[in-house]
Amino acid sequence: MIASVSAATLLGVDGQAVVVEVHVSAGLPMFTVVGLPDAACRESRDRVRAALLSSGLGWPLKRITVNLAPADIRKGGSSLDLPIAVGVLVANGELPASRVEGMAFLGELGLDGTVRRIPGVVPLVDALTAREVVVPAPCEHDARAVGKGVVHSVRTLRELVEALEGLSPWPASSAPPDQRCSVRHVPDLADVRGQESARFALQVAAAGGHHLLLAGPPGAGKTMLAQRLPGLMPDLGRHHALEVLRVLSAAGLSHGDGPPRRPPFRAPHHSSSMVALIGGGSLAMRPGELSLAHRGVLFLDELGEFPPGVLDSLRQPLEEGVVRVARARGAVTLPARFQLVAATNPCPCGWARSHDAGFRLPDEPSCSCTEALRYRYARRLSGPLLDRIDLRLEVRRPDVDSLLGPPGRSTADVRDSVATARLRAVERGFDTNAAMAAGELDRWARLTPGALSLVDGLLRRGSITARGLDRIRRVARTIADLAGDGLAEPLGDEPVCMALELRRSVAIEAEVS
Amino acid sequence: MSTFTTTEPPTWVKAAMLAHLPLMMPQLLWTLAGRWSVEEIWHGLGAGTLRADDLYTEDGRAVLTAGHRAAWAAGIRATDPGRLQQQYEEASVRVLYLGGPGYPEKLAADHQPPVVLFMRGALAALDAPRVVAIVGTRKATAYGRQVARRFGAELASEGVCVISGLALGIDGAAHTGALEVNATTPVIGVVGTGLDVVYPARHSHLWRAVADHGALLSESPLGACGQPYRFPLRNRIIAALADVVVVVESGAVGGSMITATLANDRERPVLAVPGPILAESSAGTNSLLSLCTAQICTGMLDIRAALGLATAGRGLTFIDPRPAPDATDSHVLAALAWDVLTTEAVMARTGSTLAGATMALVRLESSGWVGRGAAGWYRVAMMGER
Repeated sequence: MIASVSAATLLGVDGQAVVVEVHVSAGLPMFTVVGLPDAACRESRDRVRAALLSSGLGWPLKRITVNLAPADIRKGGSSLDLPIAVGVLVANGELPASRVEGMAFLGELGLDGTVRRIPGVVPLVDALTAREVVVPAPCEHDARAVGKGVVHSVRTLRELVEALEGLSPWPASSAPPDQRCSVRHVPDLADVRGQESARFALQVAAAGGHHLLLAGPPGAGKTMLAQRLPGLMPDLGRHHALEVLRVLSAAGLSHGDGPPRRPPFRAPHHSSSMVALIGGGSLAMRPGELSLAHRGVLFLDELGEFPPGVLDSLRQPLEEGVVRVARARGAVTLPARFQLVAATNPCPCGWARSHDAGFRLPDEPSCSCTEALRYRYARRLSGPLLDRIDLRLEVRRPDVDSLLGPPGRSTADVRDSVATARLRAVERGFDTNAAMAAGELDRWARLTPGALSLVDGLLRRGSITARGLDRIRRVARTIADLAGDGLAEPLGDEPVCMALELRRSVAIEAEVS
Repeated sequence: MSTFTTTEPPTWVKAAMLAHLPLMMPQLLWTLAGRWSVEEIWHGLGAGTLRADDLYTEDGRAVLTAGHRAAWAAGIRATDPGRLQQQYEEASVRVLYLGGPGYPEKLAADHQPPVVLFMRGALAALDAPRVVAIVGTRKATAYGRQVARRFGAELASEGVCVISGLALGIDGAAHTGALEVNATTPVIGVVGTGLDVVYPARHSHLWRAVADHGALLSESPLGACGQPYRFPLRNRIIAALADVVVVVESGAVGGSMITATLANDRERPVLAVPGPILAESSAGTNSLLSLCTAQICTGMLDIRAALGLATAGRGLTFIDPRPAPDATDSHVLAALAWDVLTTEAVMARTGSTLAGATMALVRLESSGWVGRGAAGWYRVAMMGER
């Protein structure tokens, strides 16, 4: 007898519909799986057999052939255990084929018949066209978030068979997770004393989605500042939350609580490999850190210590919001629309300073790097990568007065103004001002005559470039939005000047004589 | 010798061959040239007949040791003069030698003359009637760079040839200033490496500009890298060619302090630009002034006096084209003074808000009153303003 069951397999962050065909015929007892299964998939033979027997179901002592169609794409992972088991039951005549019609199954089986959590439920369910989908109980809320078909969740194979036979109802779904409890504790912006420009830059970065670079000596508070950015960002919208969940799910990192409320924050170490950051790998083309930070913050501490190749690979995602990974077995496009926050020392030892910087503080060590070493370090960071970073700030150690001074605005306070400013970008039809199409700048980011004459002087003096002006207008738009200006109100002196201030040259830019 | 059969190479090729010899340091060559001519040295070394047991360099090293003579004889035999000649002609590098045509008189009169001098550019530049060296540290501040650039421009516009070492910092700023006024006055650059080895690489445009508008000189043959010993030796050529040496900024030790000493040895007037007494970058110039080894240089007036020119009247009379800042901006400009400050520091000095200080500074930047460097904001001096 023959049976066919709908299922799906994962590639990158996308699912591909797969039909599991099971053929049971007379012959020597044998169990083969064909159709480009990978190792985990081929091993499912042993799990399926043990699970069926432990669940008190029969195992046909016949020749069983499983074909995974279409045969030309590689199937990976253990999510095909459950559909194979169901297929065997149908082909063996233990379940009527009519019962599984229009249904799809996803799940890994334990030897005792439990149905286990699988990675990638969200893209897998999304790829299916079945009316009803059966998923493992721990993945239930993720699967429901997709909003496709009727989702049933089961804990054991026995439970599934009983529900399919109509002997018992489908297990009730568990209560939806309480999202309020899932808000992580985030460090508060009020803890940062002094650093007025830097605090303002964080606010602008959060409101406009602008990439941010913090440069300064050790102990200046770069990391402290960067960690406060995620707290300032507004909650994810429904659509973005689903995108984030999709990536988390594909990476096997979802906790099964459904779409996250807060934007992700990823801080990979500078020793991470290229594949760990970009994504890929030989098996399922797993999303990397860049994709895991999709719609959230990617924090690269010690940017100058990352290998040059890794820094170069950031360019495409910064420009296009996606990572394209090509391997021998195929190419995948992974989402990577993250906000980059980078911190760096001005030189390898951290204490380089401009020859202009005035007198050295008594406790400030002097730089031990050679001029050539500093130049090389600066050159690695400058150029194409630095061009794509809108906000560049030099952070210095705060002085004693500001350390003992009153605290600044709190995270919650700033988050409200950020949320209001973000709404303005959405009203204009963009996610953020940083993502505003270049052609729309003349519509939404015009300059007042006063600001225009300021910019004119700077362009003529070579203080800014045409490309720089483009970025400055976006940042100025965000600053005006924070100040509550009208949707298309021309940008005045103040936002333009502040935008220039937040993009001022940092010490790592090589000085020209 | 049978190897130099057919035609003998021209003397300038022989001179270039001497510069290319292994172990041939400039000191050895000028000691040899104190006794023999370039032709005699070349023939004598090639044939192994040049002998003198009493020939020592100034620092007491024997010149014609057996080792040296063997290495040099082998070096001359191994070199193909035709190929060397072609190499220099293709690189359009002219080879001057002591006693040869076009060799500058000032160098011929020096007690440590470069026996071979490689040049790219116009020979006429070396005949400039008045030459001022502007030298200083590579670790220049915005102040030093502004001063060097301004002196360079003012000297060039008065027809005075600016000579410098084309290093980063002060040297580069001086030539940038001299070249940007677009005067017809030639400039001279003296470098430590071979003329085909641009060091520092960031100054390749400046090398070309100096060769196009004057002369680029080096004592090192083509292909010579920047070994540390070449730079102090290069400085003696600058000191010898200059009529006046101006040290703009210098740390307590460094190449510009060596140039000052070498210039004093040659009885060239040395001028130093004073700086803040706490600044590392002015420690050297301030000590030159306090030890009276240099005269003070506070502007063109002092340089003109040192050159023996009329100190009155002439010089640049620029009309400042910058619009006068309004009251708020003037207040900020006054608070900035001549320091280099971050926006926060300007805020603290003026008591204004972040937005207020930033707007005033950007307005001033846009109209050219202040500039913005890696360390912060600094006031821009108008050229000719005094």
